[in-house]
Amino acid sequence: MREKVKPEEKAEANELAPACPAWFEVPIGPIHPALKEGIRFTFWIEGERIRKVDIRPGFMHRGIEFMGTKRNLIQVLYLAERICGICSISHPLAIVQAVEQAAGIEVPPRAQYIRVIIGELERIHSHLLWAGVAAHELGFDTLLHYVWKVREPVLDLLEDLTGNRINYAIPIYGGVRRDVPPEKYPVLKNALRYYRSLVDDFVNFFLRDPSIEARTRGVGTLTREEADALCAVGPTARASGLRKDVRQDWPYFAYPDLGVRAITPEDMGLEVRGDVYDRIVVRLLEVVQSIEIIERCLEEMPDGEITAFPKVAALLAHLKKAEGEGIGRHEAPRGEVIHYIRLQADEEAPVVWKVKAPTYSNLMPWYPMFRDQEIADIPIVAASIDPCICCMERVQIVRGGKEETLWKEQLLELSWAKTRRIVRGLNPARAARHASRGGADERR
Amino acid sequence: MRAEEVLAALRETLGERLRNPEVRAETVGYRRPRERACLWAEIDREDLLEAVRALKELAPLHISIISGADVGDRIELIYHFGVGYGTETGEVMVNLRLTVPKDNPVVPSLCGVLPGAQTTEREKIEFLGVEFEGIPDARKLFLPDDLPVHPWRKDEPELAGYVRRTVAWEEKGDEGKGEA
Repeated sequence: MREKVKPEEKAEANELAPACPAWFEVPIGPIHPALKEGIRFTFWIEGERIRKVDIRPGFMHRGIEFMGTKRNLIQVLYLAERICGICSISHPLAIVQAVEQAAGIEVPPRAQYIRVIIGELERIHSHLLWAGVAAHELGFDTLLHYVWKVREPVLDLLEDLTGNRINYAIPIYGGVRRDVPPEKYPVLKNALRYYRSLVDDFVNFFLRDPSIEARTRGVGTLTREEADALCAVGPTARASGLRKDVRQDWPYFAYPDLGVRAITPEDMGLEVRGDVYDRIVVRLLEVVQSIEIIERCLEEMPDGEITAFPKVAALLAHLKKAEGEGIGRHEAPRGEVIHYIRLQADEEAPVVWKVKAPTYSNLMPWYPMFRDQEIADIPIVAASIDPCICCMERVQIVRGGKEETLWKEQLLELSWAKTRRIVRGLNPARAARHASRGGADERR
Repeated sequence: MRAEEVLAALRETLGERLRNPEVRAETVGYRRPRERACLWAEIDREDLLEAVRALKELAPLHISIISGADVGDRIELIYHFGVGYGTETGEVMVNLRLTVPKDNPVVPSLCGVLPGAQTTEREKIEFLGVEFEGIPDARKLFLPDDLPVHPWRKDEPELAGYVRRTVAWEEKGDEGKGEA
């Protein structure tokens, strides 16, 4: 399926590129329909280097906010859960805060702890999912399969606690829908012990592996100043040295009791460079942090009610009378989620509902990250902010009016070949043999 | 950063032009209760840049989102800023509300002060038909290039019909049935 570009759009796209005859235009994307977010990158390439990039999202816009203003608030909650398939609890956690603020609902403490537990379990599974994707983009499929194998127990645990592997339907306005009963604590603690035992392996596989370091150090760099000016969020901002974490800055639920601190590579004794490697560091440390948070929750969680409105009918009646506005923010695995909601008395549907997902804020930081990178680094740089897209189904190269298509496999092959070159370069024996043969320097 | 400090800084910059400022404080946490605050205020579009510069001077500034709504013959925009991230409970959510008339929906762009605002401003252009003066890139972001309507406007004559055509399954309910 080739992308159809109307002549006038083409002209507009070309205007973006400063006239430089040596630059090639390389569009990547827009979509792979199996993924929840499609996006089109247009790169202007000089040789192997990216000189300019244009990003066009919007291929998967579903108009959820528009739909939300036509439904009652309970329906909106379930709709919000379906905004993101990976961090499916992040949006419900944000919208319940917004509605609770707008309607003045007090939430029982136990419910706030349960929300934290599920939210942190989700962070563990999401970061592991990302680690697998990153390994795949670099050509380490063994690591991908290993990471995704060890990710299964946390999904099983979530299923055990909530009934679902994804879309847990746990938060509701005023509390949560299911308790985490004390008889489940041993299962939870077991799982946490298991992940704790894996941390050393992860550090070895990801942070001490010379080829991963060679592929990610100095790649996709986002400086601290750029991250601040472009309002980056989540691990992307923290890897650039900004201590920015909603759980710390503007705490909610039980987080103020848990004393969460934003993590940067400095916490591992590393100098902050803001590259892809640093983003791996931050995410791995956050898995450890999540384990600690859940352990503390299990110790400190008080007994008591789990919802302010045991009957949904009473909740709906209360919401129908409610009038006001509220904002809810949550630190999702990828960064800040914010919901703004406005309720009007005698209206079941919210009058205004605005949603912001983390990738929205991390769109602008992509521009400096791609600057002067190599084509083979596109997959890992794109994946490094953990966008909800992995949609590089094909690349089309337009050269002198002739079109060539590079499929995803070829693009990945380019990436893997670069890894192989680097690995060979790292092996001194091979490098010496190579040099003695007088062969071309494959490392470039 | 405390909400009162932010309010004082905004007052100093805008004076009487800062209307209906309101600090909404909440207590969060159980074992170690903390206070967390939102500041809500109304301003005019002419004062927006000045206000944002004052916030930026005060503390690290993050723009979360601009939310918007069609309120009759005007369009309302609410700028949600996080002021002072980086320390525990140190962030104040500052929500600045302004309205613009529909026949002249022009607002100064924040991109010169805060380049990260570009994504959300581009979204407001296509969804509400607001114009941002000085935005470096005003192309469509999320919606198709040939979409003729601004979906969040309530006075778009073509909107209901467009929605009906594109999402026919939505007709199941009573919404939008007899419209357009």
